[in-house]
Amino acid sequence: MSFLRPLLILACVALPVWVTGRFAPQHEGENPFATLYMHLMPAALEKHPAHGAGAGHDAAGGEPGAGAHVEDGEPPEYLLSLGLPGFLALFDMDVARAGAQLLLTNLQLFQLAAMLLIFVCFSGVPRYLRTGRGDFTSRLFAGFALWIRDEMVLPVMGPELGRRFLPMFLGIFFFVLFMNMLGLVPGAATATASLFVTGALAGITLLAMLICGMVAQGPLRFWLNLVPHVPWLMWPLMFVVEVLGLMIKPFALMIRLFANMSGGHLVVLSLMGMIYVLGGMGQVVGWASAPVSVAFAVFIMIIEFFVAMLQAYIFTMLSILFVQTSIHPQH
Amino acid sequence: MNILENGDQVMDIAKMGAGIGAGLAAIGAGIGIGRIGGSAAEGTARQPEAADAIKGTSIILSALIEGVCLFGVVVTLLIALGIGK
Repeated sequence: MSFLRPLLILACVALPVWVTGRFAPQHEGENPFATLYMHLMPAALEKHPAHGAGAGHDAAGGEPGAGAHVEDGEPPEYLLSLGLPGFLALFDMDVARAGAQLLLTNLQLFQLAAMLLIFVCFSGVPRYLRTGRGDFTSRLFAGFALWIRDEMVLPVMGPELGRRFLPMFLGIFFFVLFMNMLGLVPGAATATASLFVTGALAGITLLAMLICGMVAQGPLRFWLNLVPHVPWLMWPLMFVVEVLGLMIKPFALMIRLFANMSGGHLVVLSLMGMIYVLGGMGQVVGWASAPVSVAFAVFIMIIEFFVAMLQAYIFTMLSILFVQTSIHPQH
Repeated sequence: MNILENGDQVMDIAKMGAGIGAGLAAIGAGIGIGRIGGSAAEGTARQPEAADAIKGTSIILSALIEGVCLFGVVVTLLIALGIGK
């Protein structure tokens, strides 16, 4: 009975990896680096992905491929696609077909997995906090949540305000943390290595800043309080500067998380690509460079673990600071 | 090298700018984070009781500086991949 939760956690991690492996198409690029870098892009899931193995079986079987009947020039049939209204045609992901479509990509699977992981890991925490009885996972995440409350949220926001905002920041922290960690599993995709996902998270922070600031101080007072005490001649310039600063702070959140997550993966993929490039120059060179590349890649992956947790902490800490500054500007 | 005739060659060499830019951004981040590390070590040596507070602050500040460096890296990526063409 006490193995149920670890088993569910394992299922939440293994299921998206398996679905990605089953339904995502094989990456094809003109050189090894291009093929490897395609692992950083979200892969739209197709019903019948064209695998290299499928084509091999067809050639051996001698019959027209049942698994890879996607001909050149014909767009593949996607697993799930949602039609977009005309004014959102900018976000069309399926350019080969008429009409704007949103496609199911492997990133969505990992975001859903991160959400399910939050539910699985935290479902025993309230009972543990009330009665003191819970299994290892509940105790671990209860300690984690208490650390966030006592070291991150309450020192900055104070007791009453912090208690009201705690669920949002707990959610942001663990969502980002689980997405970052899931990206380190072999065969998995990092959802936060996509500008749109981090942009949505930063958008949540921006909305919190604007809405909570305007509710706490009054709509007009909020914008007027942005500017510190300056001579009235400088006020228009300072107002523009402060509004730009207000918009740039969540933008920086987005870029920071995106670049940290995708940069680490980019370095590891480049090191792996070096093996192929050096192997193309000669067999001995390729085999000799492989241990060096792999060792360095392992070292970078160790750093990646630390960076995943650190970036979740930084994102949440800065969100807390920004929301606090919106509600109680210090002048 | 005539730009009008050999446009593609010039574009390939112009991507060197992206490499130089990424290196300069890394230099900036290295200098900033190095200074933070030096001050952190010095502060901890003067007052070992403040080690925890110094450690927390220095990690946050390092991540902020690295964010600025990564702004530059993202711009160089855009140039190198020719997205803004």
